[in-house]
Amino acid sequence: MTTLWDTTGTAVVQALAAERRSGGAVTSGLALTLVVVLEEKDTAEVEAAVATAAAKHPMRVIMVLRHHIEAPQPRLDAEVSIGGRHGPGESVVLRMFGRLALHAESVTLPLLAPDAPVVAWWYSETPEIIAHDPLGVFADRRITNVIRDSDPAASLQQRAVDYAPGDTDLTWTVITPWRAALASAFDTASSPAKSVVVKGNPVDPSAQLLAGWLSSRLGIYVPVERAEGKYISSVTLDFEDGRNVQMTNEGYKLLMRRPGQVDTLQPFPQRTTGDMLAEELRRLDADGPYGEALGAVSGQSGLNQRPAVRKHIWHDPALAAQEG
Amino acid sequence: MTDVRDETTGSGDGADSERQFGGSADADMQSQQGDIVTLSEGPPHAISAGSGPKLPPMLRSNPLRDPGDRRLPRVPEPCALVVFGVTGDLARKKLLPAIYDLANRGLLPADFVLLGFARRDWGDGDFEALAKKAAKQYARTDWSEEVWSRLSGDIKFVAGSFDDDAAFDELAATLDELRNSHGIKGNAAFYLSIPPKLFPTVLKQMERTKMADNSASGGWRRVVVEKPFGHDLESAKQLNALVDDVFTAQDVFRIDHYLGKETVQNLMALRFANQLFEPVWNANYVDSVQITMAEDVGIAGRAAFYDATGAARDVLQNHLLQLLALTAMEEPVEFTAEAIRTEKLKVLRAITLPVDLGRYAVRGQYDQGWLAGERVVAYRAEQDVPPDSNAESYAAVRLGIDTRRWAGVPFYVRTGKRLPRRVTEIAVLFKKAPHLPFSHTDTEELGHNQLVIRVQPDEGVTLKFGSKVPGSMMEVRDVAMDFLYGEAFTESSPEAYERLILDVMLGDATLFPRNEEVESSWRVIDPLEAFWQNHPPELYRAGEWGPKLADEMLARDGRAWRRP
Repeated sequence: MTTLWDTTGTAVVQALAAERRSGGAVTSGLALTLVVVLEEKDTAEVEAAVATAAAKHPMRVIMVLRHHIEAPQPRLDAEVSIGGRHGPGESVVLRMFGRLALHAESVTLPLLAPDAPVVAWWYSETPEIIAHDPLGVFADRRITNVIRDSDPAASLQQRAVDYAPGDTDLTWTVITPWRAALASAFDTASSPAKSVVVKGNPVDPSAQLLAGWLSSRLGIYVPVERAEGKYISSVTLDFEDGRNVQMTNEGYKLLMRRPGQVDTLQPFPQRTTGDMLAEELRRLDADGPYGEALGAVSGQSGLNQRPAVRKHIWHDPALAAQEG
Repeated sequence: MTDVRDETTGSGDGADSERQFGGSADADMQSQQGDIVTLSEGPPHAISAGSGPKLPPMLRSNPLRDPGDRRLPRVPEPCALVVFGVTGDLARKKLLPAIYDLANRGLLPADFVLLGFARRDWGDGDFEALAKKAAKQYARTDWSEEVWSRLSGDIKFVAGSFDDDAAFDELAATLDELRNSHGIKGNAAFYLSIPPKLFPTVLKQMERTKMADNSASGGWRRVVVEKPFGHDLESAKQLNALVDDVFTAQDVFRIDHYLGKETVQNLMALRFANQLFEPVWNANYVDSVQITMAEDVGIAGRAAFYDATGAARDVLQNHLLQLLALTAMEEPVEFTAEAIRTEKLKVLRAITLPVDLGRYAVRGQYDQGWLAGERVVAYRAEQDVPPDSNAESYAAVRLGIDTRRWAGVPFYVRTGKRLPRRVTEIAVLFKKAPHLPFSHTDTEELGHNQLVIRVQPDEGVTLKFGSKVPGSMMEVRDVAMDFLYGEAFTESSPEAYERLILDVMLGDATLFPRNEEVESSWRVIDPLEAFWQNHPPELYRAGEWGPKLADEMLARDGRAWRRP
């Protein structure tokens, strides 16, 4: 591991090259570069998640921590390591102070793995407009995490407003096991669904996305009804032939109840943020079903037809605060 | 059956290839998805229930399955997996752990039953205890009591011997009961984890009870057969006729676990997804191909089977010829089981044996020696092996493929036990450049360009080519460029058995050889075996790369074995 204080982007690039040579890993297949935007307090969680994901995808991780935009002197501190606590891949931690934080791309661009896709991940505090953050503009895939925002439901609506193909949110990743279980339940259905009800927390983004996905696929309105629990507690399916399936979240198990049949209990995998990040990194193209589900949640149409490439919009938070 | 250890080092991330090799199920869905309208117009609250487009009440169209939705795993339909011979080694070490791993990964249908059949005075609970112990000991993924508790209610056992009519009637009745109580809809896969000599008895019983009948069961009925698929062409034909007669040919799944390996599937991606390799993948550019499957272990307690079988029947006939077929086949017209099997079959039928078998077919048997720092005994000194045994533990042969693409390119194929290390690889050696502008001394260390597909261990691809040595002199030397599957996807990949059992339940036959392939392979092996009848194997010291004759065989052609 190399630590650089008050340094320059060029020195960081050289330090990474030196680490690669001395580590003996001269040829290593990098599938992507992951740029994580985080705050100092999130470091431990992000490091754990990145280590898990790096075990499944060979990648270079660039962590960007922005400090004190108002500081008079710009400054860059960096830490370069290969195969350390951030998993088997390469990692660069960049701490940016002062106005440099608004020009983070000047340090990160030369550090991207050549011709490999770039994924940007905002661990918390999703930018309201992704185009304001230059790191989100050159990324091919953008992962947000609205559950960590102060008002997740409003943030999810904003994600639809700001959506471009290639965006996804971890509140969508969370419901993959639910979606897989529901899809299996429909495998054996012999008639269309008459009504579907999601029960849970109506303002939970995951519950909303699940209902949105179901309504976009089934062509019927799927409500989220309030029930115990912070997330999704159950889904009830009524089919036109009178068949009825109830799926209930029992902690890390899913109970499926059908009249006239033995109840089945399926494990619901206990997934960490790292597991979900790994799922996200598996596909580096746009997630159409997410766009449709988000469209159904927000009532916006044609989300997937929007241009996939964003144009950077200059935004100075200091200035915005003054005017604000 | 090779040593089970060759299954344990998988790596790579299986899901991508699962998608890629998904077969026709997705295509079916796609065609039926056309009439689904997404509701992105207008707020969702404006849509009243039932105002959406009416879906045709078709059984197979699942509105929640979207080909563009690549997060959802392929989960089989409700079904039962019936295992004959649950107490055997294979069932305990491979099959039962694979079921647990599938459950742990959420890939088993909600309605699933594991039904064991064996001659034990057991109840459901006894079988469950055995299955739990096996799964706990050999499972690849982390152990979770919750996953097991989900499975444990779905584990049933029927006791009886294979010639007992009453036991099979009970089995059939149990399957019928489960149809309602567990919602398995008459779907069942029968896994025959039993010696081949018992096949006729079991299959006749299934025929008698109509268990193998798709229409009588109202669902699908499939059978899974393990190698050996016979011991020569004649016996293979008999076995195939028997199995295909009781089940229909497309419901028979022959497991060759090598084909479940990620790297083997990656071979198809490498060849057919890239533009780079295909233009040089022919006799114009390829000098020769070497396919090696080496094991460091001996026969470890399998003397009775191995002494009657030998390396050629045990490994060459199935694994190596399948690897050869995948290496040499033409591009399938589409990525479906039928198209791929058709191309493999064409190659297998085009294989030619050398005219002079005495010079180009070598069999060997290991003598005592030292391997990995330990003294090991000779094959003939192994437990239960007759001291005058002439079974081979090593086989190497030069094969040709009579097609326009491969005419004149030798395929050197070898397998052996007690070789220095466990390795399986396919090496494509390219011709040397027709003219070198460098002086002879500059390129002394330049060999053939090579593309090596490492099947196991260290799954990946190596490209070997000449490069200038740094310095003021022009000196060219071979360097290797490595793609490590295990480095690119460090997470351990699904076990071959997991993948193959899942495919059986999904009805995807892409990775299973069909009867004609097995028969064509025996057509290659039978003349070899006939020739070797009168030629005792040459001894090689344990821990060496095979008998001297094998080295001479290549030296005769001006080549040498690659040291894997």
